[in-house]
Amino acid sequence: MDDDRIGRYARQLLVPGFGEEAQARLGRARVRVVGADAVASAGLVFLVQAGVGRLWIEDAEDVAPADASGWLFAPSSVGTPRVDAASAVLAPLSRFVSVERYPTGGVPSATLVFASSVPQALASAESARRAGIPHVVVEPDADGGALVVVPPGAPCYACARSTTGIGRPAQPGIAALSALAAQELVLMIANPGSVPGRRIDLVRGVATARPTSRLAGCACGSTAGADEAAGPA
Amino acid sequence: MSASAAARVDVRAYACPMTYVKAKIALDRLAAGERLEVWLAAGEPLENLPRSAAEDGHRVIAVEPLAGEPGAFRVLVEKGAGTAPEWP
Repeated sequence: MDDDRIGRYARQLLVPGFGEEAQARLGRARVRVVGADAVASAGLVFLVQAGVGRLWIEDAEDVAPADASGWLFAPSSVGTPRVDAASAVLAPLSRFVSVERYPTGGVPSATLVFASSVPQALASAESARRAGIPHVVVEPDADGGALVVVPPGAPCYACARSTTGIGRPAQPGIAALSALAAQELVLMIANPGSVPGRRIDLVRGVATARPTSRLAGCACGSTAGADEAAGPA
Repeated sequence: MSASAAARVDVRAYACPMTYVKAKIALDRLAAGERLEVWLAAGEPLENLPRSAAEDGHRVIAVEPLAGEPGAFRVLVEKGAGTAPEWP
């Protein structure tokens, strides 16, 4: 690792258990982020600041007025594609990170899901599971919510997701959930095996984690990692 | 490099936190029980590096002036067994 990178990431390189190799893994990572609304803002910034090598953003929507109430999207960006507006803010934050629109057919090495619907969350998570890559799915609810952490082989998102449907509209405190989700993904990328499959509920600012368990008969029990051998290089 | 050190890192040209970061990276590459020799400047680096190394579970074997280099010091650190932290 050259001095420029060491200087950039000096503070996290000092964290016990997070050394040069962990930072190198982050630098090699191709992270697909599904959804780039206001909820995703803090998570996106976290991933860039942590030093993932390539950040692929997937979002077909334009910046809405509600997005601009956060701190990633300026009011002047309302009406422009979210991916472009987010990239314009994120890319200058680090010259070591490439921020791009998710390329069709791109093969990520990790996925962070801020889906706008349950079907999209399920589909994105299932795609990641079948690829055998670590992923985190965020379920916002007002200023809290939950996130499901799925390292390769762990019970899938469908096994641990909330069954109450879409949560209440996001409020500013949602940044904590977003950043927490990004941190979970960073830990899985940097130190594979260090994070178990788990669900974290954030209620009134208090995070509670519990291990996920596989639902009887879920396909993830019989095909977990089935595509792993043919997964990302 | 002294006979008892497996590696040496010269951080005299760096300021904190780079001094300890570079030493930590060098220590990460060693096996437990191996020793790292660090050359560093007096002042803040000399105050911080031995303390940080000890806090991380390593053993500071020696702190002494670097022969022939006024204002520079030599710190010999033995890598601790260390354990990977359990993330919350």
